[in-house]
Order: sequence, then structure tokens, then C-alpha cells
Amino acid sequence: MFSNQRTVLSNYANEQVHQLRRLHRDFPTRVEYPRHTEFRSAIYDIERVKIFSTLKSQNVNFDKEVYRANNMIQFVKYLDDYYLGAKYLFIEIDEDENWYANTMTEILTLGAITLTILALFGLFFVNLFLRPMKTSMTLLDNFIKDTTHELNTPISAILANIEMMDRECMLDKNKKKLDRINIAAKTVSHLYHDLTYLVLDTKRKSNDEWIDLKKLIEDRVDYFTLLAGAKKVTFTMDLNYSTIYIDGVKIARVIDNLISNAIKYNKRRGVISIKLRKSHFIIKDSGIGIESEKVNDIFERYTRFNSSEGGFGIGLNIVKSIIDEYALNIDVKSVLGEGTTIRVDFSQGVVEDV
Amino acid sequence: MYKKLLLVIVLMSGLVAEKTKRDIYEDNCRACHTNVFPLEKLYMLYLKRYSGEQTFKASLKAFLKKPLEETSVMTDKWIKDFSVKGRTQLTDKELDEAIDIYWNLYDVRKKLK
Repeated sequence: MFSNQRTVLSNYANEQVHQLRRLHRDFPTRVEYPRHTEFRSAIYDIERVKIFSTLKSQNVNFDKEVYRANNMIQFVKYLDDYYLGAKYLFIEIDEDENWYANTMTEILTLGAITLTILALFGLFFVNLFLRPMKTSMTLLDNFIKDTTHELNTPISAILANIEMMDRECMLDKNKKKLDRINIAAKTVSHLYHDLTYLVLDTKRKSNDEWIDLKKLIEDRVDYFTLLAGAKKVTFTMDLNYSTIYIDGVKIARVIDNLISNAIKYNKRRGVISIKLRKSHFIIKDSGIGIESEKVNDIFERYTRFNSSEGGFGIGLNIVKSIIDEYALNIDVKSVLGEGTTIRVDFSQGVVEDV
Repeated sequence: MYKKLLLVIVLMSGLVAEKTKRDIYEDNCRACHTNVFPLEKLYMLYLKRYSGEQTFKASLKAFLKKPLEETSVMTDKWIKDFSVKGRTQLTDKELDEAIDIYWNLYDVRKKLK
């Protein structure tokens, strides 16, 4: 802070030392203490007793080289030769307000530049460290994007042909095989819809309309019945009539993913309870549950809590993005080993008059 | 009358005591240093090496009691030509009084303007 002033003060001190040397040599023939218009000075002996002073501020500090005192700047020089018995020479100048303002500006400017440089370095290193993670996520996204297009046609063909097959003339053995194909195709279809939504549909303009939630849930449960049946999972439903103003594709993705997870992470012969009321619905499973400290992480993309089950870990991430987009509320309660309850509150989304 | 007399006696005794101290300084210091090496020059030499009243007095007393080349403030040439002075015969008390007079006589703090 005083670096510029220190040079000036040091020069004054050297000049004063030179004059003290001459006065010491001529003393006591000459006894006038050297005075200057540019600065004031004082000399103190080694016992810190004042010998002579022309300072305005007598509160000298022996332990600091340069310091401010009562709107003045004082500088102390330690003498090697004790001219007139002086060990300490103090030089005092008036503080220049402009200098103080300039110095503060310089400090702030330098501080800002330093912080900027540090921030840039920080950003560079963070990017450097995150690059492998970003690369792997980009690779996964690109892979999904590239393969998604190619999945639609074969899946649709499989599902359409399964529906068209005449089950009446089939042997029971073949019916079971057909059901397995149907389940597998629906699983892939579900995954396909998630991927499509995630990669291709997120930029699509929403087409909001009134959706009959009771009907939608019944349709989706019907769609997943075969899948649930494979694990002997049963549905119990308590549905009241309710509507929500939302994009049909998006609310379907929410319900599909919640039901799909309830099946996927359920126990064999488990139960899925679905309750629908005017402003909320609850999907409860009797599955493996999630540790309480991990509940908040379930909406993170690519997070999977059980690697034995398939999937990319994107379903609940899609759910959360839709919930956030429509300012709905989702509440997850889970007990490890007992099951998970997910409640979606859409009271804010109810606009009957629209 | 007696009080005045007593006062005069006290003042006189004070003056006598002061004169005695002064005599110690004059007889034992100034007598030799008048021409050979003026005491005021010697004072400034001492002051240049020993800053502070107590340091000055203690150093000078130590030197006078035990003069050594190493502790002398004179130049090597001076010491070679004139040698180091002899040890003082004054008592500690007399030495202190003489040094006090010496310090006060040339005290730069009183002379600087």
C-alpha cells in the first residue's frame, strides 16, 4: 500500500541522515536542527527518548516502517551511526487524499485482476477434471440419439404383429411364449419412449390439454399388466375422477415411469397400490425400497439403485424434469425392505376454466 | 533571623556541594582534555557510538574504570601515538557525578534548536 510512498520517504530519510551527519560533525558550533518544507522529522535515541522533533503527530511507532498517523504518513529509519545520539529517524509527510484514493483504486484493480485470473485458472482446471465425465456423458447421449431412430420401426412391428396374432388357435405353451415376447417388446418400447422423450422430444413444443387422469392410469396399468404378471405383481386401484391440464405425452411418461419402476423394483408377488384423488395421485409399491440418504439422488440421470434390473437410470430424471416444468410437486417416501411411496401433487396445475 | 541564617547555610552548603562535584569534573577530566582532545569532541565521538543517556553513561564509566583498546572510541592511530589512558582513581560515586556533569554540559537535547 505504501510502496510508492516508501521510496519517497526513504529518499527524504537519506537526505536527513546526510544533514544530521554534518550537524553532528559541526556540533555544538552549529545547533540548528535541519528542517525541510517537504517533510518533517524527529530523532530518538536507542532508549526511545526523544532528542528533537518537528513532527506534527508525536505518536510515533517504533515497530512499523511506514504507517498512517492522524492523516499523515510516518516512516522510520534505523541509523547505524548514531549521529547526535539518534538511533531512530522519523520522517513525516501529509497524507495525500488523491494518493490514498489512487492507491485504493490500484489495490481494487489489482485484486479484481488477480481474482479474475484465479477464476479463469479454476475454470480451466475444473473443465480439465470434468472433461472425462463430460466425454462419457456425451458419448452415451450420442449413442442413445443414434440408436433411438433405429428402434422405432422394429418395435412397432413386433407389437403390432403380437396384437394381430390369433391367440385362440394357439397352444397354451405358445401363448406363454407369445406373452414373453410381448413383455420383452413392451419393455423395449417403454425404454424407447423414454429415450425418445429425453433425446428428441425435450425441445418439442408442449401441446397442453385436459387429460382424464383416471382413464390414463387405467390404460397404463392395463398396458403394464402383462409385465407385472411376469413377477406376479398385482395392482390395487382406488381411482376417483380427476383431470389435469398438461401435455398428454409428458404425463404419460410420468405415469409410465412410476409404474414401470414400481414393477421393476417390486418383490415377487408384490403389490402396487394406486390412489387418485382430485389433486394428487399416489403410487405405492411393496418393493426393495431405497436407503433414506439416497432418496434425494433418485432423480439424478443415470442413477440406478439396483444393477440387477435393466435400464439406463433415466426414467425418474424424465419424471422430475416434467414435474418441474409444470410446477408440480413430487414427494418420495421409502423404507428399505418395505417399499416406496411416490405422491404427485398437481393442485397448482388444476385450471378447470382454461 | 535564625531561619534566614539557616536558609543561607543550606544554600551555601548546596553551592559548596555542587562546586565540589564540579571540581571533580574540572580537576579529573577537563584538566587534561582541554588541549589534547577537547571533551566536547570526545562527547560527540561517544554519542555516535553509544546512543541514549543510560547507555552513554554506563559505557563511559566502564571504560574509565577499565580502559581497553577494544572499548576506546579513539582511532587506532591515536591509540598508537598516545596509548590508551590510565585507569581512573575516582570512586564510583565521584565517577557518576563527574559523568553526570559531563552529560549535562553537552546534552544535545538541550542545545538543538
